[in-house]
Amino acid sequence: MKYFLNRLTIFVSLLLLLLASCEKDMNSVSSATGVGGSLSRFTIVGNYLYAVDDHFLYSYDISNGANPIKTGTSAINFDIETIYPFNNRLFIGTRTGLYIYSLDTPSMPSKISEARHARSCDPVVANDSIAFVTLKGSSSCGPAESGLYVHNIKNIFTPLLIRTLPMSNPEGLALNGNTLYICCNNDGLRVVNVGDPANPVITKTLTGAYFKDAIVYNNHLICFVSTGIMLYDIGSAANPVLVKTIAN
Amino acid sequence: MRFFCTIFLAMLLSSCWQKVDPRNPGSALATVWGYKPVYASIATAKQIIYSPTPQPVLRAGNIYAKDNLIYQVENGRGIHVIDNTVPANARRVGFLTINGCNQISIKNNFLYSNSYDDLVVIDLSDVNNIREIKRVAGAFPEGNTAYYFSQPPQAGYYECPRYDSVVTGWRMDSVKNSCYRN
Repeated sequence: MKYFLNRLTIFVSLLLLLLASCEKDMNSVSSATGVGGSLSRFTIVGNYLYAVDDHFLYSYDISNGANPIKTGTSAINFDIETIYPFNNRLFIGTRTGLYIYSLDTPSMPSKISEARHARSCDPVVANDSIAFVTLKGSSSCGPAESGLYVHNIKNIFTPLLIRTLPMSNPEGLALNGNTLYICCNNDGLRVVNVGDPANPVITKTLTGAYFKDAIVYNNHLICFVSTGIMLYDIGSAANPVLVKTIAN
Repeated sequence: MRFFCTIFLAMLLSSCWQKVDPRNPGSALATVWGYKPVYASIATAKQIIYSPTPQPVLRAGNIYAKDNLIYQVENGRGIHVIDNTVPANARRVGFLTINGCNQISIKNNFLYSNSYDDLVVIDLSDVNNIREIKRVAGAFPEGNTAYYFSQPPQAGYYECPRYDSVVTGWRMDSVKNSCYRN
């Protein structure tokens, strides 16, 4: 009997340990990193922090979060604007084009391909097969035609420009399934259906603010506008509903 | 007579203004009305402090969302913290001073940002003791000369900053026209 009780105690202890470890894993997966806007120059993928300044991509191992260790510096050589991670890739928006880097060796990202364009400013968002880039051809950014540039990246080695949708003053952008939100400064927030990426359709424009950047997070769209922050409920993705304005 | 007086006065006044070639500002170190740096010691400027008092947004920068909080960079000064637990009641709740910053990313309880040319790690795990736990000096060399307050806010002459301190702002004053911003 005593033998049986001992075995039972060990079994229950093991079970509890197992459950405890499960819980821990789930927590760390659900809330490890947050989400940045498309104009960011810092991003975290797995155990690495990637940062860009005007010319370089820096990689830091943050396995020990309190003690980042530099593992690589890559010269990109063009005016870097933004960095956006998706799956195992980094999408780097520069003033002369979109650069795609592989994170197969996360300590030292390597360039896979690039889509060159005329000089302009360009944040990027992407999914498995498509990269959406906004080009703002203003005087300070360069002469490219302003608009949404859609690149097919199914073949990651040769991105293919499949569509240009002209629009004025596009800046930050955020992707939510088949809905793309594009911040167009004083021209408003464009809601774009990209269900067929080759034929993006503007379905709605929200005005009343100078929109700079946006984040999709927890069923809400967080917009950075010149006068503050605006929060929209996007339970219905195509119909954002304003729930709060936080004035500067 | 009045005519000659006016001419004389005009000549007198014009002698006060010295024309300087903006492309060669060192050609004459005249005293002009321009921007003068406001300095802090490097140690003071690099202090990281969290305050549960919201600050006005003056130079809004990047946004970041994690869990129930939204963060927004105040370029050159730090990070605004917004409680988004109930979006309809979202509001600013505090400010994290990180001079020389313009970026943010977070993993677990560690916030990564830049402070001038340094990479900084800030421990968020105890809201009553938010603090810097690591600084990687010189991580971003360009940050040393390209931080938000490294140049005055507008075109014109300004006093070239010293390099033994950090510029934390600019004010108008009479300055030696040693530097020029286009």
